[in-house]
Amino acid sequence: MVWKKNDDPIHPEPTPAAPPRPAVPTPSPTPSGGPSSGHEPPRRTDRATIGASIFIKGDLSGEEDLVIEGRVEGKVDLKQNNVTVGKNGKVKADVSGRVVTIEGEVTGNVFAREQAILRQSGAISGNIQAPRVILEDGSRFKGSIDMETPKELGGLNRERELRPEPSHHEANRAEVAGVKAGA
Amino acid sequence: MSWFSPRGSGPHKEQQGRVQTVAEPEVHRSLALAALFDDIRGRKVQVLDLGPALGSNVEFLSQFGCKLFIEDLYAALATRAPSGDGELAGPEFFAEFLAIPEETRFDVIFAWDLFNYLQRKELVHFAARLSRHCDRGARLFALISILKTMPAQPFRFKIQDEQHLIYERRTSSERPSPRYAPLEVTDIFKGFRVDRSFLLRHGIQEFLLVKD
Repeated sequence: MVWKKNDDPIHPEPTPAAPPRPAVPTPSPTPSGGPSSGHEPPRRTDRATIGASIFIKGDLSGEEDLVIEGRVEGKVDLKQNNVTVGKNGKVKADVSGRVVTIEGEVTGNVFAREQAILRQSGAISGNIQAPRVILEDGSRFKGSIDMETPKELGGLNRERELRPEPSHHEANRAEVAGVKAGA
Repeated sequence: MSWFSPRGSGPHKEQQGRVQTVAEPEVHRSLALAALFDDIRGRKVQVLDLGPALGSNVEFLSQFGCKLFIEDLYAALATRAPSGDGELAGPEFFAEFLAIPEETRFDVIFAWDLFNYLQRKELVHFAARLSRHCDRGARLFALISILKTMPAQPFRFKIQDEQHLIYERRTSSERPSPRYAPLEVTDIFKGFRVDRSFLLRHGIQEFLLVKD
């Protein structure tokens, strides 16, 4: 299955019967794109959402923030952007992002360049690697937390030391609303 | 039972994810904790926390730049039914509970007051399992009740600072305390010795065990 973001400007044209649009992923602007330094190029503030009824099996990568309310199995790799697993989200995958926020369930490792946040409603069974980790009371966590400050980019590459990357998702990549497969 | 199953069947009395406490948390000085942090200062250590995941403890321990493993023993025990002789956990249980790579080594283990909630036989199994992941010099922090009774569920311990622990009581009901004596502790934890032990006024004896 291939999801493709429509980046073209919208030109309203009369169409007799427009097919229903898929509910997700839906790119939408976000009020803030998370923490960033003044020296970095301006970041895109688009945000894609994987809706509650969607199940994606494959690898996700891209250059915009992502909210997961559905189910994802595979790998979520958005190192430069924020990833949120919403309250309804169920993820069986390693998740990489700038700020990774977990409100739902994650089985897999979490790698955050800046911060990993496990909300009260969230659960992680896996390892967290981030320079800063916030666990809210009542959240569920089983695994290890490595808060050693990762070197720029190099720190995230350490994920392969923690868990060798399975290759069985190679043939099953998805492209989600500007979230490009196989980046 | 799935690890993600809603709690409530387990030992944690929670509503909407919030842990309930039945009394105002108490703050007690911890002499063993202070000694422990003195011992590990300036070292990159691997820590095993056998209590529930608590943000304040994670935040406190982050200053030591450690790698922290969290395995909530009491929550895991609560999912098991006792065997005929009342024993909750045997070697298989602890092998499954600590399913980590054989080469993983812990420098510090926070057992908190969990030993009070294990039978002697279970403690022997658990000590043997922990010992496999400890090299010489590894430290184990434990709190043993010396009172006749203790809360029916373990406290939640939050590290306030290097010398103080916050005790959060989770139940008002009580159960008999096993009152393990220091000699019994060293007998159970073969290969460890009692490095420091402090008897505190509120009926808790702190132990800092060190692997020989």
